[in-house]
Amino acid sequence: MRHYEIMFIVNPNAAEEEIDKINTQVEGIVTSGGGTVDKVEKMGKRRLAYEVDRHREGYYVLFVITANGDIVKECERRLRVMDAVIKYITVRTDDEVRRLDKMKNYRQKRAARRGSGERAPAPTQSVEEAMQ
Amino acid sequence: MKSAKEKRPAGQKQYYRRKKVCKFCVERIDAINYKDVKLLSQFVPERAKIMPRRISGVCSHHQRQLNDAIKKARNIALLPFATE
Repeated sequence: MRHYEIMFIVNPNAAEEEIDKINTQVEGIVTSGGGTVDKVEKMGKRRLAYEVDRHREGYYVLFVITANGDIVKECERRLRVMDAVIKYITVRTDDEVRRLDKMKNYRQKRAARRGSGERAPAPTQSVEEAMQ
Repeated sequence: MKSAKEKRPAGQKQYYRRKKVCKFCVERIDAINYKDVKLLSQFVPERAKIMPRRISGVCSHHQRQLNDAIKKARNIALLPFATE
């Protein structure tokens, strides 16, 4: 089982219910395949950096999941078929998460060795802040 | 015999260039996330090209991560490939 992030862009003219429907569908695929959905984040409407299928805006949704490759494959297939979804991307994050944990441990150990005088690590930015 | 090179001619000031530092090393940003548009856009000038290391001063380790992040962000339309 690996960690993935699936981000997709829904047609901005789609109704809220339609987005929810897509979300439940994706969730269904993941859970039925034995994976877990760790986080669902609706990041809201955003201007696209370039035109996609004549759209200048899009509704971004982010899924953080723990699953295996087959589930991801199935999700991508389904997203490709859905008309309302104009773009999607899947990113594998488990290596990154592991690396960050290692870094954090190392920093903490070093800080402990040096005493309390060490500078605290910078607070991590949330996605919503970063998107602005 | 002393070579002339060792002695700087009087009146000619030495030019100091500010040392460039890697933003990610200094601010201790471990993760360069493709969703962090605010951070990434600092490294894509108007033409939407990725800023070279010799200009931004980012270290090779972080430049690599930055490249990956920018390319991912371009794929999901968070950053442009080129400005029209």
